[in-house]
Amino acid sequence: MSVSSEGGRARFWALLAVLVLVFAATVAACGGDDEGDGEEAAPTDTGAESDGEATGEAIKIGVFANNEGAFAPFEGQTWGGAMLPLINRGATPVSGNSVDGVEGATIAGHPIEIVYGGSDSTPDKAVEEARRLVEQEQVDILVGPLSGSEGIAVAEYSKEQPGVTFVNGISGAQDTTLKVQSPNFFRFHNDGTQWTAGLGNYAYNELGWRNVVTIGDDYDFPYSQIAGFVAEFCSIGGNVTERLWPPLGEEDYSSYITQIPEDVDGFFMGVGGTGTVAFVKQYGQLRGNLADKIMGGVFMTDPVILEELGDQVVGVVTAGMTSGDSQEPAYLEYTSQIESAYPDLAGTGSSVFFYGYYTAMEAIAQALEQVEGDLSDDHAAFREALAGLELEAPLGPIRLDENRQAIMDNFLQQIVADETGDGVPDVKTLETIPEVDQTFAGAFSPDTPSPDRENPACEEGTPPPWTDQGGGR
Amino acid sequence: MNRSALTPERALWWGPALVLTLILVIAPLLFSDFYLSQVLTKALWLGIAAASLIFLAAYVGMVSLGQVALYGIAGFTMANLVEADGGSPIAWNPWLATLVGILAAVGAGLFFGAIASRSYGIYFLMITLAIAVLTYYFFGQVTQFSGFGGVNSVERPAIVSNPVTDPVNLFYIALLTSAAVYAFVRYLARTPFGLALQGVRDDPSRMRALGYNVPLLRMLAFGLGALIAAFAGIISVWWNTRISPGSIDLTRTIDVLVIAVIGGLFRLEGAWVGAFAFAALDNWTRGLDVVGQRFNTVIGVIFLVIVLLSPGGLMGIWQSITDFLGRRLAGKPPARPSAGARASDSPQPS
Repeated sequence: MSVSSEGGRARFWALLAVLVLVFAATVAACGGDDEGDGEEAAPTDTGAESDGEATGEAIKIGVFANNEGAFAPFEGQTWGGAMLPLINRGATPVSGNSVDGVEGATIAGHPIEIVYGGSDSTPDKAVEEARRLVEQEQVDILVGPLSGSEGIAVAEYSKEQPGVTFVNGISGAQDTTLKVQSPNFFRFHNDGTQWTAGLGNYAYNELGWRNVVTIGDDYDFPYSQIAGFVAEFCSIGGNVTERLWPPLGEEDYSSYITQIPEDVDGFFMGVGGTGTVAFVKQYGQLRGNLADKIMGGVFMTDPVILEELGDQVVGVVTAGMTSGDSQEPAYLEYTSQIESAYPDLAGTGSSVFFYGYYTAMEAIAQALEQVEGDLSDDHAAFREALAGLELEAPLGPIRLDENRQAIMDNFLQQIVADETGDGVPDVKTLETIPEVDQTFAGAFSPDTPSPDRENPACEEGTPPPWTDQGGGR
Repeated sequence: MNRSALTPERALWWGPALVLTLILVIAPLLFSDFYLSQVLTKALWLGIAAASLIFLAAYVGMVSLGQVALYGIAGFTMANLVEADGGSPIAWNPWLATLVGILAAVGAGLFFGAIASRSYGIYFLMITLAIAVLTYYFFGQVTQFSGFGGVNSVERPAIVSNPVTDPVNLFYIALLTSAAVYAFVRYLARTPFGLALQGVRDDPSRMRALGYNVPLLRMLAFGLGALIAAFAGIISVWWNTRISPGSIDLTRTIDVLVIAVIGGLFRLEGAWVGAFAFAALDNWTRGLDVVGQRFNTVIGVIFLVIVLLSPGGLMGIWQSITDFLGRRLAGKPPARPSAGARASDSPQPS
């Protein structure tokens, strides 16, 4: 009896300890947001002042990508991209893992505090996380999100928060800027549609394809990508016979691959994230001879994916906003900066995840430098600086249109056998299509239907200027 | 035992409950808009969803993974019937759409209940898991109703207001709905129908021998669970202003199960206690500098500790504390130190 009583007492205290823990958690959660932002910022000020040069008011920048879901493997790249502009301005990485952030960041004399966030590629979670960063952490500027449907939802939410400036991470749906048009939402990289510029032309005129099947994950970013391919390929006479839409996060594509008719000339692949690897491997097993049949989306040349796929994809032609084989001094400097800041991320500079978050933070930094970090006019001058920025990015200039959407070069590339000796196939740029804008040379406007499973329709029309038919070559 | 006697145990049990209720009633005065919306309102509707699971588990012995799917059916139906970006072009009055959404979920609940009512234990769990996955893919694949992009900017009744700029109304709606659900289930448990359900939970064969139609009772219970879940679904759409298949995927299904388990799977109050712990921890750990991107690990460890220490979840912990203190105050030795639940209407499963 006495033994059980003793046991009961020990258990009681253990239970009480847990309860206190939970209570403490609750109190901490309550306390964190009640107080004004002045008090909130206090501890960070002292942390940054040790740097010595930071004198201005601290600026809080929230950064969020995906730490769960299909795109979680790319979190390191996104954070590397977001941190590099700060490291180039004197900040030091906390650790070799980019997600741990940086210390001592300053821009124009203002200490920069980075606030961590992460969602899971669903719009619900993205808005929830954006709300936490904006309303609870009280960030001044928010960088993110990563995924297409997330971007549309966050851009919608940004309209409710006119006091905060939003800069997109790497979410690439067309609607985010073309339709939503939030005045405080900026995107310093091309959308999924713009990334396909040049592919339809290459398929029709170089490869001689006439009938094509498209396959892409069933959400807004692949809709945008396939919209671009369809608009270009069909405008010059090509025919898209079928569009297949496996769900995002699918790991078994065999049932979709068997739906691709044997007699089509080829197919355009807009499968993203981790799905690319599974798709290509399964296609190889089921159908073989992949390279002459497939035209890849933007993820095909992602360094991480290339390493995984190896020789299987040699010969595949793809397009995107990065060209990994660029020998421009600015690009070489950028890649060496990555290598010294984050050795583990060396070689990922041409990943769109890295580059998108990099251009976002670099644009913020340059605009803040222009206004000397002064956000006191409700960001008006800062936003004007952002909107008018001529960003000299490592792979070419970036400027914004009136919807605050990037206009930049697009690169048509081919995956070729490894020559650098690192065991990973190389990327060769075939053509640079200059200054691709979001309307895709007039094919899309705020009034055209949003890209989805059926839209845009495959119709002959005015060929974009970069096609042979449009007089591009 | 005299029901109205104020024993120390009772005082310890109801005192904090009263204080908590009072805090909730005046919450808009105490907490920031953000906390009110993103933690408290979220906890309330997650709590309603978990309550539908706990109702089934505690009173009918059916542990269901289909509750999130059912609230999704209510949410998607409502979102499709009002003016929104995506989904069907129909634009009805939001209240009518809400009513139809709830009825659709109840209808689906009765239908799924009829299918699952003869299965027990792990088989029942598997069937409800299938319902969850089926519903997720249905709304993902049928673009006329949603597609993976979901239905966005869903119109809400005027009283709901804008949940971002003016979250107070939605908070009270969620609070009143929670109170109504709680009162309804507690009342139901004392009706002949509720007693029959508990009989089915304890011994289906004996109930059958007594002349009860056990599959019918279980089907009706599942329909009632769907009704409760439907309220959560409607409020979640108002709160998010959108719904997508991502709102009802397996992660959310597991979230609701976790909430019910850490709250206490066999006490109705546990639904909201668990939901609040879940929402607050999720919010708090994400903001911790020392934790950074590892917040999921911290949440996982805390939940693990709770469940390891107390199979009855947080409510079980509270139960042990009140039992212990109550006996101390009454001068009796702590005769029942285990973290068991009260015996009256919510026994532990065997």
